[in-house]
Amino acid sequence: MCPRFSAVVAGFALVTALAADTARAQSSIAIDERLAAAAHLGVGDRVVLTSEPGVRGDTFVVGAITRRGADPSEVARDGYRIRLHLGDLQRLLGAGDRVSRFAVASTDPARTLARINSVGFGFRAYPSAEIAVRTSKTFRVLRRFHAAIGVITIVASAIFLLCILLLKVDERRRDIAALRLMGVSRTSVITMVVCEAALISLVGTAFGALVGWVGSMVINWHYQGVYHTPLTFSLVTPGILTFAAALSIVLGLGAGLAAATRLVHRPPLALLGR
Amino acid sequence: MRRRLAFASLRRRRARSLLAILGVAVSGALLLDMVMLAGGMRDSFRNLLLVRGFQLRIAPKGTLPFDTQATIGQASAIIATLRTNPDIVTVSPILGLKLHVPSRNVTTVAIGLDGDVQADYELLSGRPVSGADHIVANQAFLDATHARVGDTLTVAVGYDTPRRRVVIAGIARFFYTAAGELVIAVPLATLQAMGGPMATDRVSLFMARVREGADVERARQWIADKMPRISAISTGTALQQFDQRMGYFRQLAVILGSISLGVGFLLVTTLVTVSVNERVGEIAVMRAIGVSRQHVVEQIVLEGVALALAGTILGMGLGLVTARAFNAILSDFPGLPAAFEFFVFRPRDAYAAMTLLATAGVLAGIYPAWRAASLPVADTLHGEAIA
Repeated sequence: MCPRFSAVVAGFALVTALAADTARAQSSIAIDERLAAAAHLGVGDRVVLTSEPGVRGDTFVVGAITRRGADPSEVARDGYRIRLHLGDLQRLLGAGDRVSRFAVASTDPARTLARINSVGFGFRAYPSAEIAVRTSKTFRVLRRFHAAIGVITIVASAIFLLCILLLKVDERRRDIAALRLMGVSRTSVITMVVCEAALISLVGTAFGALVGWVGSMVINWHYQGVYHTPLTFSLVTPGILTFAAALSIVLGLGAGLAAATRLVHRPPLALLGR
Repeated sequence: MRRRLAFASLRRRRARSLLAILGVAVSGALLLDMVMLAGGMRDSFRNLLLVRGFQLRIAPKGTLPFDTQATIGQASAIIATLRTNPDIVTVSPILGLKLHVPSRNVTTVAIGLDGDVQADYELLSGRPVSGADHIVANQAFLDATHARVGDTLTVAVGYDTPRRRVVIAGIARFFYTAAGELVIAVPLATLQAMGGPMATDRVSLFMARVREGADVERARQWIADKMPRISAISTGTALQQFDQRMGYFRQLAVILGSISLGVGFLLVTTLVTVSVNERVGEIAVMRAIGVSRQHVVEQIVLEGVALALAGTILGMGLGLVTARAFNAILSDFPGLPAAFEFFVFRPRDAYAAMTLLATAGVLAGIYPAWRAASLPVADTLHGEAIA
């Protein structure tokens, strides 16, 4: 028995392909590499396509194998894709002289757009940029969601950092008391603690950047496999690194300053527990 | 006594305890949100599928309902076949097309259905779909066309197809359409006729209700065997497909939930450990005057649990607020029904999050408590005296 596969063609028709047909090929088609792998099809093979199961179809030759582009609007769809010549698909579907959409190149896009949209109902022209924005809505929503989660994560990290630095400074209250009793000024003590906090933040940022970079690679590898797409899901850009480092250092300096100021304003003997 | 000592110890370092509670609260909020996301999304989708009790969807072979513009031919014959199965009590055929309202320059989604067995909308006012030309519309459509119940509109499928006059009979809330989408429900036969040869006796989908007590899976299998050119999808299968498509959110929930639990655990462990290190002398004195090891362990574990519990309670409230904000952001997710929710509060989610954090609090206190209880009393007192 021939293997049977279903594919969505150009987003509007279901086509069933039956491999290894003996009829004479009429026209060529392009199939995506996933379908080629799943149906064991290669360039030159012949297939029969029908608009629905159980109806007589047309025979085509596989003329090309394509790789799916990085299209965010397609990311969650795992169907196979076949591309046909327009006339072949119209005949296959019994769609007569109908099409789903036209792509128009124009020397004056704004005027063309206005003219088409004023023709009447049944047509609606969109600039390519607007189509791109509409089709990437999934990712824009996800971006906002990630940003919201990012804010919570930053708040949690800030509290965590503040806690740790508070503890670290608190742990050294005897050293600080000794320094103060030896005559070291409050400013010097604060500067010392703040520098230490900045250093800890810097080392933490470097380590965090490394973890983030490795995490980003794992995320891309995992989701590109899950969704069969070359899309890049996670990017560590210089901008993101700068933002993370700046945030971490500012938080570290702030926490170090708060903790040190609190300690140096207490009498040294009280810090020693006397 | 243990409780009083534990609380006294936490009160003594107020700023530190407050920060720890805040940290656990933020982690707890994120944990609750992620538990809600992991389970709620699926529940919300399930409830949506079963909103009218239709357990089966029948779509063109190899597709999911309304995933493509493919349609099923010979719809009447399929309905007749489905009705021969005594387990299938109701069949609701649905056709989806785009309709234009030329006079208002508006394009809308039109759902062709049988008004007597429809499962797509809830009537808010007026009368349901009936006759050949009585339609119902959602509020977004009425706003876009500036029409009211009782108005007559002219509609058409395309610029080259016949126009038809329809009367708005009622206002409805549609279950499966996205927020803000313009939708009208039209009698199925009317929409098929307007669609021309491409829509004659064709539907996009059937919904079938299986009699109570009957095996839904058996009915699904019967349809699959009887009519191989269509796909019968049960609620279970639809949920599997849903899990596959929305798996990203579940994975994100698991990863972020684990991280927030880890952060909460680390925070409490660090604080309790440092607190114990600072009080080794005090603990040694307690041990020297006869306080048992168990008492010391319990007191320190109690400190961890108190921090975790206080943070958790605060975090639950915070989590509910942030879940609403997240839901508002994700409500714009394309292609999902307006009624679908990503974050659904279920008491068991709150219990799960609280239990996880409380357990983390207990575990966080165990190591420092064990260290404190194992201190050599004489050496520690000696060391403290020298210090």
